[in-house]
Amino acid sequence: MLAELINPYYLQVGCFILINIILGISVYITLSTGQLSLANAGFMGIGAYTSALLTIHFDLPIIIGIIIGALVAALCGVLIGIPTLRLQGVYLAIVTLGFGEVIRVIFVNWETLTNGSVGISGIPHIGREILKTLQGFGFQPMSIGLQNNQFIFLSIFILLLLITIFVIWFFRRQHQSRVGRAFAAIKLDEKAAESMGINITYYKVLAFAQGALVAGFAGAMYAHILAYISPADFAYHRAVEILIFVVFGGSEVIWGPIFGAFFLTLMPEVLRFISEYRYMIYGLIIIIMMAVRPQGLIDVPLLKALSKKGRKRGQKHGTGNHKSM
Amino acid sequence: MLIEQLINGLTLGSIYAIVALGFTLVFGVLGIINMAHGEIFMFGAFIGVMITSTLNAPLWVAFLGAIIITAIMGYLLERFALRPLRHKQGVSHLAPLISTIGVSILLENLSHHLFGAGNHPFRTSFAEISFQIGSITIYLVQIVIFVISIVLMLVLTFWLGKTRAGKALRATAENLETASLLGVDTKKTILMTVIIASAMGGIAGILVGMAFNSVTPQMGLSMGLKGLAIIILGGMGSVRGAMLGGLILGLAETFIVVYGDSGYRDAIAFLAIIIILLIRPQGLFGQKIST
Repeated sequence: MLAELINPYYLQVGCFILINIILGISVYITLSTGQLSLANAGFMGIGAYTSALLTIHFDLPIIIGIIIGALVAALCGVLIGIPTLRLQGVYLAIVTLGFGEVIRVIFVNWETLTNGSVGISGIPHIGREILKTLQGFGFQPMSIGLQNNQFIFLSIFILLLLITIFVIWFFRRQHQSRVGRAFAAIKLDEKAAESMGINITYYKVLAFAQGALVAGFAGAMYAHILAYISPADFAYHRAVEILIFVVFGGSEVIWGPIFGAFFLTLMPEVLRFISEYRYMIYGLIIIIMMAVRPQGLIDVPLLKALSKKGRKRGQKHGTGNHKSM
Repeated sequence: MLIEQLINGLTLGSIYAIVALGFTLVFGVLGIINMAHGEIFMFGAFIGVMITSTLNAPLWVAFLGAIIITAIMGYLLERFALRPLRHKQGVSHLAPLISTIGVSILLENLSHHLFGAGNHPFRTSFAEISFQIGSITIYLVQIVIFVISIVLMLVLTFWLGKTRAGKALRATAENLETASLLGVDTKKTILMTVIIASAMGGIAGILVGMAFNSVTPQMGLSMGLKGLAIIILGGMGSVRGAMLGGLILGLAETFIVVYGDSGYRDAIAFLAIIIILLIRPQGLFGQKIST
């Protein structure tokens, strides 16, 4: 019963949805200080390449590779974040876009290390490693009625789900904390925020580094799930795709990018018959969204309306302790 | 050898300059980075290919066709992607940027469907005419490209500085509301600016097709990104800066291919802007940003 339900294909799509959610959140974090970063595809690439190369050449465990990959991406985020702080709006967007391009060109040209545009294959697969470890303890997937293949994808999916929930939890907490309020103040009015005693430089670099860390982490996971990466995976189109998740879903609340990534990753899979036109539809969606609802589908008033409805229903059923968003 | 490379660099630079002029016009008036400009440029090139190779029409028809089609695209862009966002309350200043990214994605994939993903050669007998001066070979196309870009810049400078329409445009760029109060039809001015900028993209598209004898749907993206780099290098909204920035980038790219590693050619533009933004954020010719 369980074995028939668990289809590796669905799990794979689920994994991509989760990775895209994490990527969407990475853009949301930087955007919550009013900075638009298009470098997150580059940070993702840095995380992916670092982790892949470390695990292949130095036989490091995957988990250490992923952590180092995310940290290196965060370090690059700080290095890029500090000088670009003096730039605003479109200038920042273009410089981060340029940074992403420079990263891609380096990946393509540093052939001795990155294998050029061919890409790196044979990256240790995270699911297989989990299976191997568990088998070492004498566990067999057959004992819970699963094929090896099913178990591999199921374990990745569950792992990613836990991580995604943790990331969402962490940034929701942060949003309600001192840091989150500082971010919001900077987004509304930088000068006013500064005169209120908020250290703008610190918080902007923090947001930038957090975005880079999360993106680098997502990239490292991506490398160990697909077992193959190439520079084209982290180029301009990826940067725009991540941006679209946030724009479509809404950049005001964390649920926006989550919904955007979920919907837009699932849509092409469901609408296979028009997948040829997928990107044209993407383009149209963006234009229409900007004209009709520039803040994205999910915004604060919508959430308030939803939670009010939920509260009413809650009172009817007598529970009454509905948490507000 | 050196002189030949210098000429190649100037040709490439002139094309970059024309593309950058399109960017800088729109930015100067609207304060918007038009991310779809590269794709409009690419459409101009394709229309040139279609008219000269499929219809076997002469080159001037191709120029006319490309200008008309890209001007119409400019109209549609302004009407459906930019105008709805203007005067809207609470719209982030990034909204038009994202909207034009949407247009660029739409156009790039539309061109995949219309023209196919492959490379289209641009066959005109005109592109083969060349002169020998001593040991140097100069193609007529190169001279034409250089002349066209210089003429375009001069006409643009004159038009912006001396004519009524140009003055209206500068007034709109200075302050939309004030210009509107003083009787400038800002709606018309903005529309005209986007149309002119797009038509210039179309001209640049045909010139690139002739110079490199190849047109692909991907060329819009790389040219668009370089155009962006150039207007940052030269200073946002500065006509002279766009021209000079384009020439600098064209020469730098040509010489790194000859004397350095050709693989890093595409990274120069961005390394240059990262450096320029750190040293002189307003660009080589830009006004000091007061905000």
